[in-house]
Amino acid sequence: MIENLEGIAIDQLLAETQKCKYEGYRFITATCADNGDETIDIIYHFDKDYVMKNYRVTFNKGEAVPSISKIFLCAVLVENEIKELFGVNVTDIAIDYGGHMLLSEEELDSPMLRRQITVEKRGGK
Amino acid sequence: MSSTIIPFGPQHPVLPEPLHIRLVMEDEKIVEAIPAIGYVHRGLEKLTETKDFTQNVYIVERVCGICSVMHAMAYCQGIEELMNIVVPDRAKFLRVIWAELHRIHSHLLWLGLLADAFGFESLFMQVWRDREKVMDIMEETAGARVVISANAIGGTRRDLSKEQMVKINLTIDEIKHDLEQVESVFLNNYTVKHRLVGRGILTKADAIELCAVGPMARASGISMDLRTTGYSAYGQLDFEPVLHNDGDNYARTYVRLKEIYQSIDLIKQAISKIPEGEHLVPVKGMPPKGEVISRVEQPRGEVLYYLRANGTKNLERLRLRTPTFANIPSLMKMLPGSQLSDVPLLILTIDPCISCTER
Repeated sequence: MIENLEGIAIDQLLAETQKCKYEGYRFITATCADNGDETIDIIYHFDKDYVMKNYRVTFNKGEAVPSISKIFLCAVLVENEIKELFGVNVTDIAIDYGGHMLLSEEELDSPMLRRQITVEKRGGK
Repeated sequence: MSSTIIPFGPQHPVLPEPLHIRLVMEDEKIVEAIPAIGYVHRGLEKLTETKDFTQNVYIVERVCGICSVMHAMAYCQGIEELMNIVVPDRAKFLRVIWAELHRIHSHLLWLGLLADAFGFESLFMQVWRDREKVMDIMEETAGARVVISANAIGGTRRDLSKEQMVKINLTIDEIKHDLEQVESVFLNNYTVKHRLVGRGILTKADAIELCAVGPMARASGISMDLRTTGYSAYGQLDFEPVLHNDGDNYARTYVRLKEIYQSIDLIKQAISKIPEGEHLVPVKGMPPKGEVISRVEQPRGEVLYYLRANGTKNLERLRLRTPTFANIPSLMKMLPGSQLSDVPLLILTIDPCISCTER
């Protein structure tokens, strides 16, 4: 249902983003979603003359994702947001807030990640 | 020259909402500006995962009061696409009428704040007096002044009677007449122009590079307005994006002011072309499943909704990118090189909405 959605590997991300820039696309935003298993999706949305191009990167939690902010500076805020809210290790962000753009010291770690509730029986039974 | 750091905000008379900017100064000149947000983050995206997809209409409206109709419109359009719901034509026109009324009240609010920021209190009062007329229409047609809950999945929750449409027509004529009286003050007054012309220039190249949206982009000569894609009933209405090429405070004022006339014209066209019929179809079948992106043009620019549904009543993910979030990098480009005294006006001319930005 999403136009021009293509799955790519992490190591293709910077090359595809650079290609988008050369082709005259603008960066709209990136969407991060916890898939509920051990993986996370980031979808990068680009637009040229109202036609969107979307790249989906799926990776395991804990894996590093390179920042595209060296190509599109406007990605700085959304990458910091993803880093804080989903705990994704986005590397080399042009302006890195160090995990405190939105969250303070007392906040929960990565509040947008899904949490598993485990019911423990009393006495270990 | 040694530099000084001045914290601007989070509380400042020109900012109705908290935004902090760390200004690195050399004398009175800004050399670097770094924004800090996070003072009013509400976690609304997370909240939508715990609510029924029909209840989310009311949550997204509360992302931002001023653009509440367009938030609900974008969300409903996304769900309707996922569930293959065909919205009645009448509802599409009703959505346009309420959306454009919201655009008028948003731009009038901004013009008033601009007048207040450069100390022209009577101008502020004149503009906000007209905004009240729009708020009265909202109250009369939808029962509330700001968050009007007009949209529903499948159409609109309310209809407009012929009498109400006649009254809307008369009221927007009055607003147009009043706006023509104050327009020359905003665009031709010597003192006002002195504060606006040549200040905070965002070139077309920078606006493209920094992915500016809405009036920010159009004031830098970029012809980008999602309404031209024809969503809802916009495809059946005639209009062209309002453009200016200078990219300064004056250009942004010009674009927003002229867009009020454009909205008045769009409402008149919509009222003249609105068909008879239903305004809401019932939502039937299984809950939505799949992924969709929905975009609409808000008063501040493009808003994007990404929805991921799994066939249950709760969405797996709702993500929204608001226009102010997209325009903050452009503000960071405009500030360096400016004088400290121009900072309040520069921030104001991006029409910042922090509650949108932080969601």
